[in-house]
Amino acid sequence: MNKPYFLLVAIFLSLFFISCDNDDNGDTGDPEIPSGDVTKYVIAATPTASEGVADYLLTVDDLTGGVISTQGNGVEQDGTYRYYVTSNNKFYSLLYGQGNPGAVTTYILDADGELEKISDFQSETVQAFAPIGDEILLAKISRNIDEPFASWYRLSTESNQFVGEGQINTEVLANNGEVAFFTWITEVDGKAYMPYMSVKACCNDRFGTSYPDSGWIAVFDYPSMEFEKVITDDRISGIGRYFTNGLSVDEKGDVYAVSSAVSSNNGELTASNPGAIVRINSGEDEFDPNYFFDLEQASGGYYPTFHVYAGQGKFVLNMEAVADRGTYSTGKKYAIADVYNKTFTWVTGLPDADDIVLVTSRNNFASADGKTVAVGITTQTSSYVYNIDIATATATQGLEVQGGKITAIHELSYTE
Amino acid sequence: MKYNILYTLLVWCMGLIQMAWGQETELSGRVTNAENQPIIGASIALEGSPYGGISDENGRFVIREKIEGEYTLVASYLGYTTYRQGIKVNVGDKYKFAIKLESAAITIDGITVSGKTELREVREKAYNVTVIDALQLHNTTLDVGHALDRISGIRVRESGGVGSQMNISLNGFRGKQVRFLIDGIPMDNFGSAFQMNNIPIHLAERIEVYKGVVPIGLGADALGGAINIITRAQKRNELEASYSFGSFNTHRFNIYGVFTGENGLIAKVNAFANYSDNDYKVAVDAADINTGAYFPKQNLRRFHDQYHNQTLIASIGVRDVSYADHLSAEMTVGSSYKEIQTGARIVTVFGAWHRRGTIIKPALKYQKKDLGIENLDLTLNAHYNFGSEQNIDTLNRRYNWLGQYKEYENDGGERSYSTYKYRNNNGLAMANLTYRLNDGSSLVLSNTFNSFNRQGSDALFPDNDAYDRPKKNLKNISGLGYNLKFEEWDGSIFMKNYNQQNYFSQSYNPTGIYGDVAYVNAHNSTNLLGYGLAVSHFFNSNFQIKTSYEKSYRMPETEELFGDLINLRGNLSLRPEHSHNINLGADFWWNIKDAEKLHISSNLFYRNAKDFIRPRLDNNQTMQIMDNLGKVINMGIETEVRYHLNKSFNIGGNLTYQDLRNNVQYEEGQTVESVVYRDRIPNMPFLYGNADASYTFDNLWNKGHKLTLGYNGLYVHGFYLYWPSLGNDKLDIPDQISHDVTLTYSLGRKMQFVVETRNLMDSKLYDNFSLQKPGRSLTGKIKYTFL
Repeated sequence: MNKPYFLLVAIFLSLFFISCDNDDNGDTGDPEIPSGDVTKYVIAATPTASEGVADYLLTVDDLTGGVISTQGNGVEQDGTYRYYVTSNNKFYSLLYGQGNPGAVTTYILDADGELEKISDFQSETVQAFAPIGDEILLAKISRNIDEPFASWYRLSTESNQFVGEGQINTEVLANNGEVAFFTWITEVDGKAYMPYMSVKACCNDRFGTSYPDSGWIAVFDYPSMEFEKVITDDRISGIGRYFTNGLSVDEKGDVYAVSSAVSSNNGELTASNPGAIVRINSGEDEFDPNYFFDLEQASGGYYPTFHVYAGQGKFVLNMEAVADRGTYSTGKKYAIADVYNKTFTWVTGLPDADDIVLVTSRNNFASADGKTVAVGITTQTSSYVYNIDIATATATQGLEVQGGKITAIHELSYTE
Repeated sequence: MKYNILYTLLVWCMGLIQMAWGQETELSGRVTNAENQPIIGASIALEGSPYGGISDENGRFVIREKIEGEYTLVASYLGYTTYRQGIKVNVGDKYKFAIKLESAAITIDGITVSGKTELREVREKAYNVTVIDALQLHNTTLDVGHALDRISGIRVRESGGVGSQMNISLNGFRGKQVRFLIDGIPMDNFGSAFQMNNIPIHLAERIEVYKGVVPIGLGADALGGAINIITRAQKRNELEASYSFGSFNTHRFNIYGVFTGENGLIAKVNAFANYSDNDYKVAVDAADINTGAYFPKQNLRRFHDQYHNQTLIASIGVRDVSYADHLSAEMTVGSSYKEIQTGARIVTVFGAWHRRGTIIKPALKYQKKDLGIENLDLTLNAHYNFGSEQNIDTLNRRYNWLGQYKEYENDGGERSYSTYKYRNNNGLAMANLTYRLNDGSSLVLSNTFNSFNRQGSDALFPDNDAYDRPKKNLKNISGLGYNLKFEEWDGSIFMKNYNQQNYFSQSYNPTGIYGDVAYVNAHNSTNLLGYGLAVSHFFNSNFQIKTSYEKSYRMPETEELFGDLINLRGNLSLRPEHSHNINLGADFWWNIKDAEKLHISSNLFYRNAKDFIRPRLDNNQTMQIMDNLGKVINMGIETEVRYHLNKSFNIGGNLTYQDLRNNVQYEEGQTVESVVYRDRIPNMPFLYGNADASYTFDNLWNKGHKLTLGYNGLYVHGFYLYWPSLGNDKLDIPDQISHDVTLTYSLGRKMQFVVETRNLMDSKLYDNFSLQKPGRSLTGKIKYTFL
């Protein structure tokens, strides 16, 4: 009976070929982050590939030139379909979890100017989020008329924890048999302005509507989130679009609403009002009936798909031909609209729209002085940051980002 | 078999001789194994003379020669002890022999190298096929799915414990690219109550794994291969029951019975049930239910992962009657219940959402050799599944990993408010016609027809049905093949036609007035032709080389076309996946000494696939949608080595390396080479293997008492979740090693006890992103054989 014992020993010896499990717990608490004196840009890049795609966060000192690549470089994010927001000098990377909660990773720049993960916390999958004061307001919005509720969450950017939440009955809010679907959130005078589109939220046409020719903004007190009123305008269609901001506030406190006029019903575009900009004057709670800026007329047949507010009444707009209008399409021509003088200028110095494959739609970057807006453009050969000089409406090719499209351009600062 | 052509020639020559010379001596008989099963292809010779023959598929042989005098009749077959008998014959007389060959190889619990004729017969086909002798695994507590995990080239990936979603990757192909069949019948749309990882291994006699090229008789549109479970043959009365109990409150119960009656009557019952709480511990970041703050690296039990299923398969039929070799009616009924603990990621946790499924599947099987015409064989199979699936998510709560939740007042669900219930009404009919030509070759014609008609509703939203009209799909795959056997060569050439018709109606609103619905009927169809060939050659009885090529297609699945109405949105414009597969393999058997045997098997493979059907998020980003994405080239090698000593010891191992490379040189709209062109496909294990050993102590303490000690080890090399060449701060899945140890104690034939420890060292095992698998588990099993 010697053999069996030998065998047992052999088996148990072999069991010691075990891999060790390296726990690298990166949590370092949650220090206070003062604004620093050195600025760096954080660029989120999504590699162009059919599957297995994750976003990479790259940091650069300068957007006006140079080359950076995702190859062997960048902080890998867990998957794509991530969204980014910067507040309180912290960079938040949110996973769009298909209706389920997901981890949000928070980064700061450390003393060497490198991204440092300071915390993870859990968030619901939301369809709208924006900084309000030192907080971020997030909203998870139902697209199902049988559960017509939007949940909102207040995130403290000091503690990186949620400090309040509540629900809004979006069927009651819409008050027309459909439900309200918030397109985005904008802070106006300390309040949460939440433009919405009216949607059927049913069946095979969840985002269709029978009310294509109105725009609405629900106004909520903040932080109580008490409903105050709905501001309506029937000269436009919905303000913003799905997951898209349509509202900006200028230095005077006037509020400008951009409508793409892409309302649809059963797949047919049904808005008869044009893509336009309307205004709520500072301190008022109705649209100014005397202000209407018809962008389709001003541009000669183009409507706006996205906007970035640069400053001094200047908006950088992505424009698309009215003939190609679509609910989710992205314009590849850039223009500057001066809402004070109602002038419209095409941006020059950019690649021809036909040569542009993709553009950064939601997270372009406007400099604090309002002089430059940096936009991401992917051509057939690479991706570039183009810096649009607002005063001259000319763009200059800047940083090249190899191996991926630019999904976000943000700014953080640190102290060396 | 390979000698058939010689035999035919011989018979034909002898026929001529007979005509010329008249009176001959006739020696005839039947060659069987110890269980009275015919041995096909055994060689029968009169030693010292040029005369002999080969046994046919019934084990019968005839030798007609003008001979007289004393001879030694020798019957032999690979894996059996050679039979010798001295005979004395007179001219013109007839002699009958009943020859029983004894198995020469070890027939204990180690996997036998030879002597298992069916196993080796399948292995020796021209196709690249691996066979698991499931009977050898009946003394473990495995299910069919986990048995597959031990085969070279296969990685089973699952999202959790018992009853969790299981995904099999076969030489780089995964998901629906690999088809499952049971007794040659495709297992499409069987529902959640009858899946690989809830079928006990006791159901199976053997499992054939075709890598790459699949024989047309299986009638499947498999792109990357097929797994065919052969259920136990109904030879004699049998009755056995087994019960196992293990960690995480896991119970498995199985009864198997076969009753044979007069006039070929056969009744068969297979009942099995699985139950598990799956409450194993996982390391997670648990979020505070209100603030979202994480308590990092908590070691917490899963709390909402109960699974149970119960299934009964009963059949009644006849065998070896004038109108049928086999005719049976079978009924499968079963149900399953599954709680859903997590979403696609471990951070997403649920506490009440669950699913229920049923299977009600009558089936008919018919086999007849020499149907009307001699050498024309027919096989018919048909089934229809009346089963249903239901998704129940009715509590508007948000849970965390600590099991705490907050509840909202209004109606809603954890993910999506639902009690949606649907039936897929899936039917299948398949027919195989084989015509065996006299020269040993054969012609095969096969046709498989699938139908699907989904109907569903949700009691919560009775008005919503209006927009979800029935969805229909018809799929037909027909194949024509020619199998040729010439001396030591074996070849197949075949052609397959793939046809799919989708009928659907799209709802639209004719007036624009809210709620107005009308329908437009639409139809699309696909018709494709694939082909291939397979060749094998025996250089001698111990060394075989095989090679095959196929241009193959995989049709979109009904769920991919129509969605599952839960998380998957349908895509009616999906195109079939397409691949060129090439295999080159060699097998070597070596009897070192009488007691020592070695088998080495190695296979090189090449796959060039495009239009992969892969998930992406839909435009609204609430559901996944399947789309044709990407081109992949996969080259790899798998090797298996196995050694036996005496009846007591065997050891083996396999290793697979697959080099899956992205073959998309230019992404859509780009004129520069993709940054991940030729990069390794992420989130796929590329180097992995198994090792196993077993030792049996025979006649321990008492005669007939037997103790078997078994070991199985698994190694998976670490891999990246996302493209390896990108980023410098990356997410990965580390190397994984796990060890299972099994102790089996048998008291004669009747009673058997098994104790099994899986993941002995309690290593952290992962699959599919961050989802953790169970740690160490201990299971005990008792099996009793009544008959």
